[in-house]
Amino acid sequence: MKGETMTTTDAPTASDEMESLAAQLRMPYTLTPGWATGIFLAELGRHRLIGSRHGDTISVPAQDFSGTSGEPTEGLVEVAPVGALQGFTTTADGTLGLVLIDGTDIPMIHRLLDFDSETLQIGARVEAVWSDKPVGSMLDLAGFALASSSESFSPRAVPGDLLPPVLQVDYSMTLDYQHAYGPYYGTLFNAVKYDRRLRGVTCTKCARVLLPPRAMCDVCFAPTSQWVDIDAVGTVQASSIVHIEFIGQRMKPPYVYSEIVLDGTSTRLIHMIGDVDAEDAKTAATPGARVRAVWSDRRTGSLTDIDYFKLIP
Amino acid sequence: MTETLLRHTAVLNSAHTLLTPSWSDRQHIDLISEAVTRALKGTSLGINDIDFVIDSGSDFLDGRSISNCGFLGAMGAHHKEESRVEEDGLWSLMYGANKIASGAASVGLIIAYSKPSESDVDAFWTSLLEPFIQRPVGLDQRSAAGLYAQRYLAAAGLGADDLRSVSEHAWAAAARNAGVDVSELPTDDAFWNDDFATPLRRSDLSRPVDGAVAILISNAEVAASATSRPIWITGMGSAIDQHFLAAREPDTFPACEVAAKSAYRMAGGIGPADIDLAEVSATSTVGELMVLEAVGLAEKHHGIDLYRDPDQSRINPSGGALPADPIMATGLVRLHEAASRLGGRPGVEATDARTALVHGAGGFGMQNHCVITLEVNS
Ligand SMILES: [Zn+2]
Repeated sequence: MKGETMTTTDAPTASDEMESLAAQLRMPYTLTPGWATGIFLAELGRHRLIGSRHGDTISVPAQDFSGTSGEPTEGLVEVAPVGALQGFTTTADGTLGLVLIDGTDIPMIHRLLDFDSETLQIGARVEAVWSDKPVGSMLDLAGFALASSSESFSPRAVPGDLLPPVLQVDYSMTLDYQHAYGPYYGTLFNAVKYDRRLRGVTCTKCARVLLPPRAMCDVCFAPTSQWVDIDAVGTVQASSIVHIEFIGQRMKPPYVYSEIVLDGTSTRLIHMIGDVDAEDAKTAATPGARVRAVWSDRRTGSLTDIDYFKLIP
Repeated sequence: MTETLLRHTAVLNSAHTLLTPSWSDRQHIDLISEAVTRALKGTSLGINDIDFVIDSGSDFLDGRSISNCGFLGAMGAHHKEESRVEEDGLWSLMYGANKIASGAASVGLIIAYSKPSESDVDAFWTSLLEPFIQRPVGLDQRSAAGLYAQRYLAAAGLGADDLRSVSEHAWAAAARNAGVDVSELPTDDAFWNDDFATPLRRSDLSRPVDGAVAILISNAEVAASATSRPIWITGMGSAIDQHFLAAREPDTFPACEVAAKSAYRMAGGIGPADIDLAEVSATSTVGELMVLEAVGLAEKHHGIDLYRDPDQSRINPSGGALPADPIMATGLVRLHEAASRLGGRPGVEATDARTALVHGAGGFGMQNHCVITLEVNS
């Protein structure tokens, strides 16, 4: 444990080693199901299954185009919400079945509900189980359970009060990652966290000092060697004053975004210049300006441990 | 017309990093540069001789968009033509071989990389599914394999226990393969016996691993001076099946059959009987049997017969994809394994095989298939 007022560097312990970075990608989507699938989804809320005709084949859920010929569907049909089980599998997340709806030619995959796994058999008659609270998604059909009656009907013309298609399905995908730093970034970020210094490596061929460090020089494809300690002091190569707001910003606009060449390195570091008025920055944070890092109180072992760079008068 | 590629493109050398469940102390770039450096080593070619780089990986697996842009330096692609294929590396190889056969380039590097240990592999597979019908019900790579398996086993008159000969062969061969991080056959009872995606057990599903692979290819002129034993790419084919899993054939891979037929045709009308050695990819034991049947190495529903002899070395002598599935690189690793054996390279068991078939799969539930045939001069 480190004291809150710690200013000196603790020697890193094994548990402090910078090994990996937790990252998350979250992407919101507004998906368009299209005409046939949109109507299929809309009608689930009314406990009706809508399929599509493709020559001699009927598929459910309804599709705009044939999966084999690519031809547009010749029209929609209503099919009975009952069928026969063609196959099933159970994983830790539940049981999925291949259900061939009566009168159709292509099975659909859905959850199997309320069954006895000891007696479940291929060929079993199953019927739709509907959700109590339809929202316009596939799960308005909650799944299939063993049929309680022998009622069914052949595919028939769609009802006159067919709903318009669901136009949009909101969807969000969240993916979690644990990215390995590897030996080079690990060494750099350890030095940032514990020693408040940056570390680069030298290319064995072109002798450029590369920050962040890496095993191979990008330009020469020659191995690097020889670690170099780098002071967080450098020269501005280019700046841009950011006025717009977007997700992930660490400073409130306007702020100055800069490419900085740290003394002794051959690469450019992207960071921010702070403690300067945006208007003044137009003339002060120009190419050639000298800057020095202002280290944060945080010790996270990333380049955000530098709050910003400050112009050296 | 169909023989334009014949003997125009050669595999000069290839290498991959150790394939291991987690390279927790290495980045993608560390793995990639190791594979590329080793593929160049011992050849007379250097990075400046490379005309183009084509690579395979997945932005979803890598957790960054257009991930190849960050890997260019490690691939040796600085100021070179570089192109990324979001499919198994075998498709990159096909792309590169076409470039060379067309005369547009002389030497190319084909690279594939994967670090599934950094992400949620089940979520990756599910992300490949269309999101309206199949994804919401919980269909995933495991249940897709289970649904295929139940129908295949019933049609073939087999039981789940019969599949053990497939996975045992794979893991035993991988244990002999220095490139795969397996020291011995797993002894964990649950691995072999517990239900995972019924009727399949954990041992029936491929094990995701981290790694990178690099293949050096060239035209005939460069090959003549660069190696005494070029491995010729004689045929190539690929084909894709329908996306909806339920609409596909229940117990065969017709797209794989189409891919194999076009490779055989391009190779001058050869057939499965002309194949000395096969390296095929699959995400499950049943998938492996269905591939072997689709490429014609076994009769439909009789793929299991190929494993009656536990010491056979014609099918997946490397162990195949079951013990080591570096997703997006798996097929290209198969090509490396086949080329290493045809080339009689050190570190692999000696063989008198002269021809090989290499197969890669892509997409959800093995929707997409690529087949390459190779030949070495006797
Ligand atoms: Zn250099």
